[in-house]
Amino acid sequence: MKKFLIYLSSFTLLSTYFILSVFILPPEFLMTEQLVPEPVFEAVLSETDIELGDSFRLDIASENTGDYADIHIVSVGFPNLTEINDVVKIATYDFSLSPSYISTGEEIGSNYSGGITTTFAEYPSIEAMSRPLKPNVDTHFDIVVTPEKPGMFNVYVKSIGIPHTSEFSHYPYSGTLDHQNEHVMVYSVTVNP
Amino acid sequence: MTISTLKSSEIFLKNNSQIIFLIGSILTSLGILLVTVGGSWDITNHLLSKPETFFSPPHALMYSGVAISLVGVVLSFVGWKNLNKLKNSYFLPFKIKLIGIGLLTGAGPLDFVWHSYFGLDGLLSPPHFTLITGMFLCSVGGMIGISKYLKFNNSRSISKYLLILAVIPVWLSASGIISSLSLPFSSTDFFEFNPEPTIAFIIASLAYPFLLSLSVFLIFRLSNYQFGLVSILGGLFLLIYSSTAIVPNFAMFDTIQFYSLNLIPFIIADIFLKLNRSKLTLFFVGGLVGSIFYMVYYPYIMYTYNEILLGKLVSPSLIYFVYFELIQTVLLYTLAPAIVMGFVGVVLSKKLSVKILMN
Repeated sequence: MKKFLIYLSSFTLLSTYFILSVFILPPEFLMTEQLVPEPVFEAVLSETDIELGDSFRLDIASENTGDYADIHIVSVGFPNLTEINDVVKIATYDFSLSPSYISTGEEIGSNYSGGITTTFAEYPSIEAMSRPLKPNVDTHFDIVVTPEKPGMFNVYVKSIGIPHTSEFSHYPYSGTLDHQNEHVMVYSVTVNP
Repeated sequence: MTISTLKSSEIFLKNNSQIIFLIGSILTSLGILLVTVGGSWDITNHLLSKPETFFSPPHALMYSGVAISLVGVVLSFVGWKNLNKLKNSYFLPFKIKLIGIGLLTGAGPLDFVWHSYFGLDGLLSPPHFTLITGMFLCSVGGMIGISKYLKFNNSRSISKYLLILAVIPVWLSASGIISSLSLPFSSTDFFEFNPEPTIAFIIASLAYPFLLSLSVFLIFRLSNYQFGLVSILGGLFLLIYSSTAIVPNFAMFDTIQFYSLNLIPFIIADIFLKLNRSKLTLFFVGGLVGSIFYMVYYPYIMYTYNEILLGKLVSPSLIYFVYFELIQTVLLYTLAPAIVMGFVGVVLSKKLSVKILMN
């Protein structure tokens, strides 16, 4: 009788374990709110009109105003270049990971998918990354650009927070789309011959 | 040193050779336990991209572990060399430990050279695999050494708790081997060592349940069916895994309650084995512990199954979302093979324990 009771309670406990682990707790956890990082940035151009051979500076201060971000990215693209070479120099950089240089033709993530959908880079860019980034911590990424050709020189800037769980997990929220089908702010400088 | 001092120390060594060998085995196992705990903690820190220096706590734990194991192997040699009888019996664990420590210490310089040429490496790389194999062999040598000592000396049941220290490093280091062959953490700029997703799926689904069952039944058989050891072993594994893989990630902290539930099947396995040792019970328990592998190896095992079943981007705060999203699908695919592998663990543990305890 004692043995029978032990077996009975053991089987009851085992059933409870499987029901809790497989059917009850997983949906409970899936209902908890996901973190929503909200990256924003302010970029300031030193000049909007320069002579060929002169340089301009773009200072970017970014911040995560939402929840804790596993990864905070600020990407700066150069649609008028095919190679970065000596045209772009990093002046200030305080992200936790080293900057990543992306070359034209390289396979890159698109549509804020974090690499699940990909495309090929049509122009070079530099990605600054902090892993992780707590809310309300400022990061800085300043560049000095010396264009090699006259005309309009554009710089595309965007910021993405990962996990990308909402439309506020990237900045800007709308506007020009870049080669990754992601929104960017465009900063233009006229380069006079 | 006088001749009489030399002689007395020689007599001391001869008289205590077995106990010295046991201490060597304990230190070897303890050292590997520290290396595996540090390793698991280090993987979590890498995933969380926590700033890392050479003097980080996980590294300190790992290197202390290697040093303790090295001392353990040296002591094992001293003990083995001075054995009068049973020299042949203790040769196997000594030999395994010697090969293991050779690989373990050799992996350090190899890792340095590898890093110098190829930068950061992933979980699976030639130096890392050498390291994990060395850890596994050392822990196996330690386990055999401790088990043999307990058998030859008809140790009291209290001493059998030493078997927990003997088996847990084997379980953890073998888990390390399976993880490195199945987790997609090994892609670098120079090499693509990530396992092919389908093969990784098969390895994880078969090897983890087998290892769980084998570990539980090894301690059960090596201890001559002592009650309580299965629960303590399982509880210790869960404690180590939760404190190194779950607690450091604040986003997963709430899931501790889910993970602690895994103690239930270990306790019930222990109770069933105490009540009845029929073949049916053994196979039931083997199947039971095999079937819980996806829960016991929470959270990182999810990465293996995500590769083939969902293909989602998993950043640290999303780990448990993807894990729970997958749990029912994974069990649907893997439950039957996992139970079968649990049975295999029961059968193989019998053969292995007989060999280990052979004179």
